[in-house]
Amino acid sequence: MTSNFLEIKGLHKRFGNIAALNNVSLNVSKGEVIFVIGPSGCGKSTLLRAVNWLTPPDKGEVWLEGELVGSSSSKLTIKQSQLLNGFRARMGMVFQQFNVWPHLNVLENVVRAQLVVAKRKRADAESTALKILDQVGLQNKIDEWPDHLSGGQKQRLAIARALAMDPTLMLLDEPTSALDPELIGEVLTVLKRLVNNGMTMLIVTHELGFASEFGDRLLFMDGGEVIEEGPPKKILTMPKTKRLKMFLEKLDVTSFKKEEKL
Amino acid sequence: MKFDISYTLEAFPRLLEGAFITLQVAILGFTLSVLLATTITVARTSLNSKIFNSILAFYISFIRGTPILVQIFLVYYVLPVFGLNLGPFTAGIVAITLNSAAFVTEILRGGLASVPVGQFEAAKSLGISGYALWRKIILPQTFITSIPPLVNEFTMVLKATALLSLITVVELMRVSQQIYSANYHPVEVLSGAFVIYFLMCFVVSRSSVFLENRFKVKRA
Ligand SMILES: Nc1ncnc2c1ncn2[C@@H]1O[C@H](COP(=O)(O)OP(=O)(O)OP(=O)(O)O)[C@@H](O)[C@H]1O
Ligand SMILES: [Mg+2]
Repeated sequence: MTSNFLEIKGLHKRFGNIAALNNVSLNVSKGEVIFVIGPSGCGKSTLLRAVNWLTPPDKGEVWLEGELVGSSSSKLTIKQSQLLNGFRARMGMVFQQFNVWPHLNVLENVVRAQLVVAKRKRADAESTALKILDQVGLQNKIDEWPDHLSGGQKQRLAIARALAMDPTLMLLDEPTSALDPELIGEVLTVLKRLVNNGMTMLIVTHELGFASEFGDRLLFMDGGEVIEEGPPKKILTMPKTKRLKMFLEKLDVTSFKKEEKL
Repeated sequence: MKFDISYTLEAFPRLLEGAFITLQVAILGFTLSVLLATTITVARTSLNSKIFNSILAFYISFIRGTPILVQIFLVYYVLPVFGLNLGPFTAGIVAITLNSAAFVTEILRGGLASVPVGQFEAAKSLGISGYALWRKIILPQTFITSIPPLVNEFTMVLKATALLSLITVVELMRVSQQIYSANYHPVEVLSGAFVIYFLMCFVVSRSSVFLENRFKVKRA
């Protein structure tokens, strides 16, 4: 069972003439941490967004823990969209732009979906929220408005909001790319804690050092396809394809290699 | 002709009764208009249908391109031809609602445009969809950013109700006319109405600031 915790089968997605996903398949085991890298526009975001059906693929299937999340982009019935909401709650998503809700304070941001989707009682939802906000280091900010938080705090809030639904899988789309360099560390600390707790994760990132230290697997995508895949250190130090070599040269990998030697 | 304030004071109690009807019509009409406009806004976004959008565009340009007085008369005189016999009060509210809803729809369109698409996506990614998505996440943000133009639109409605005097709704303007056609002191009586209209609009527009603070539009 563990081998097909998450199964992505033959995803295709076109936007006009652009093939954002071209037959992407992936099997993820429970607890596996998979990093996705690739040049801009290669389909990394589209892959993550197809997994939770935010961007319904043209073709292909996604299975979570043996259940079919979706297999066609035709209009969903009410029953199907209810099922989909359940799947989405089990797949926490974190966005590059945080997307915290500005009209709700920090606590309410974490409480809201618990009430609406998980149908928890307010008291239970609040105690869950407080526990998780404590884990991400926002225990002193529960009454604060999101617009008064720093980027790093907003992203930790967004992570807390997703974790409150007890997800079995986390999808993170460049969680640190919109942050000032000095704020990246605090978000990575939270993510490292998740890795250590055994969370299954699919992470799009440009933080190669982070990926090589914490990733079980690294995917390199280009033109909507997975070009190379394997253990991060191996992929990053011994790229097989010219495309990956060029990509790594463009990204400043000197810093990564320095880290490796230490 | 001297201005004799005693006529104003004498008229005042009845003017206040008229003002009470004015407020009723304005509040009822505006509330219905906001409900209608909200429904239209949600439907437009979720249906994303060309037919719906063109009907809507037609309705809005019709309302904006004709005098509100004509719209009021149309509702009052033409609808009975089709067997809909509304009294002046109801007809007035229907006319005000249909008129104001066009403007409120435009206001909410602007408010909704200021809600980033990421706000929808974050909600959906947590399993929030349909009614809850709008009610709990999107509409509150839409309305908070729309407070100033909505308050402004309410003062427009409040002032437009004076036109309902022409279809015999006994509101502030109609009451004034009744009084001065009996005592022949239009200046004194209308001055009273003038002050009452002004005070009502003044209080309403000041409430914008109060509402914005109340709903904590906290922008860094
Ligand atoms: N909603 C959309 N409409 C049209 N084209 C889109 C849409 N979303 C993505 N695309 C296109 O699909 C391709 C893949 O986009 P995607 O966002 O998945 O790339 P990415 O790898 O995440 O890039 P980045 O590193 O810049 O985030 C791009 O060419 C993009 O322009
Ligand atoms: Mg992207």
